[in-house]
Amino acid sequence: MKTTAADIMTTDFSTLLPETPVIDAIRMFQESFSKQGRRLFGMIVSDEDQHLVGMLSMYDILLYLRPKHIHVWGSMEDLEIAGVIDAAGSRIKSILVGDIMTPDVVTVGPNANLMMVLDTMIKKHVRRLPVVEEQRVIGIVYISDLFSQLLERISD
Amino acid sequence: MAQLNRKSTLRNLTVNDAMRRQIIQLDQAKTIDLGINVLIKYKVNALLTVDSQGKPVGVVSKTDVMGAYYAGLPVESPLEYIMVSPPLFCRLGDSLETALEQMRTSGVYRLYVTGNESGDLVGALAYPDIVGLLYQYCHQCEYSHLKTSRQSNQDDSVRRFNVREVMTPSVKSIGTGETLNTVMEILSAFRFGAMLVTDENGFPRGVISKTDLALNYKHGVDPGVAAHTVMSGPVSTCDVDSILEEAVKKMIMVDIHRLFVHEGETSNIVGVLSLTDAARVRSGSCYACVSSRIKVEDHD
Repeated sequence: MKTTAADIMTTDFSTLLPETPVIDAIRMFQESFSKQGRRLFGMIVSDEDQHLVGMLSMYDILLYLRPKHIHVWGSMEDLEIAGVIDAAGSRIKSILVGDIMTPDVVTVGPNANLMMVLDTMIKKHVRRLPVVEEQRVIGIVYISDLFSQLLERISD
Repeated sequence: MAQLNRKSTLRNLTVNDAMRRQIIQLDQAKTIDLGINVLIKYKVNALLTVDSQGKPVGVVSKTDVMGAYYAGLPVESPLEYIMVSPPLFCRLGDSLETALEQMRTSGVYRLYVTGNESGDLVGALAYPDIVGLLYQYCHQCEYSHLKTSRQSNQDDSVRRFNVREVMTPSVKSIGTGETLNTVMEILSAFRFGAMLVTDENGFPRGVISKTDLALNYKHGVDPGVAAHTVMSGPVSTCDVDSILEEAVKKMIMVDIHRLFVHEGETSNIVGVLSLTDAARVRSGSCYACVSSRIKVEDHD
């Protein structure tokens, strides 16, 4: 039976460098489905030595796209949303992954058991956990894979 | 503060109405590099620094980050090297006028907000948020330019503020070949937030803001490089005679802090209008509520 993070982690994952333009990262998100058969919503950021330096998630990108003053828009009906989206898209072109990634990333070791992985994901509100061994990322555990694994065992 | 009339737009508003509830803060031991990441991601001009017990100890603004870049401080240095202490506070129930006056006399662009009784940190108040709030009032107002312009058969008899009345009329610009160090020297000496970059014919080619400088610092760009290699363009402009409400709307919608102001030809830049300038007007965007305008000397 699969019982550890290493048992259920994916080792086929793309990584980003902090110097990668966000616009290139966005393309990688878009291409992930055809390449890995999985829609990615977060990618690992590591340096040239494969050391983990952060994670770029969909949320980081959305946070950057969100207009700063949106709380005063209220019931305004005369908004030209297409123009607003284009302006946000044009601004992101000068931004690199390191500028908006989340640098403090929760990780697990390869020997962490599945219930510890589950607990970490719930407590830290994360859906993916890099598996780190000797400071190097060796895989990622996705919440969906953890869920499928647990369901499989339970329904046996 | 000379108050022209007791019936004020701002008079009945408290800090609670305009502040942001999200407080962007970092431990003072964290790096400037991380600080820039947070400033960029959350689109704020400054962050609060706290000690290891979570107690607020200082503020790091984009101006402080620019100072570190200019001084050649490694971007891995802790925020405590460049923070300004102590942070200044106001209370949730303070009137907006009082808070604005405190900002003006202390020469700061933001205050942190504590609960009325608890003393706990509950928010942050900055100039652009006050403009946002005023814009919201103007937008809903029956005299709103946007409402009256839809009823085209009606004459718009309301006298409105135009950009000329509110803008800062002097604009410093530099040539495309000047270095980032020169940009930083001028921004620092004149306390500007951004610099216009013009070509040899005086034509505006781009802008370098403190945000651009913070990004270049983080990206390890040598501050000796020429302005044109890092400037952002095209320059966002508005006409000197355009209505303030429209200009503010443009800034609020597309997240830009300032518009360069042109007269006649779009290349003839005669001023700059920032959200901070608009906040200093302290009333809505037309004379319909001019009686409520609070006259305050310019904040430098």
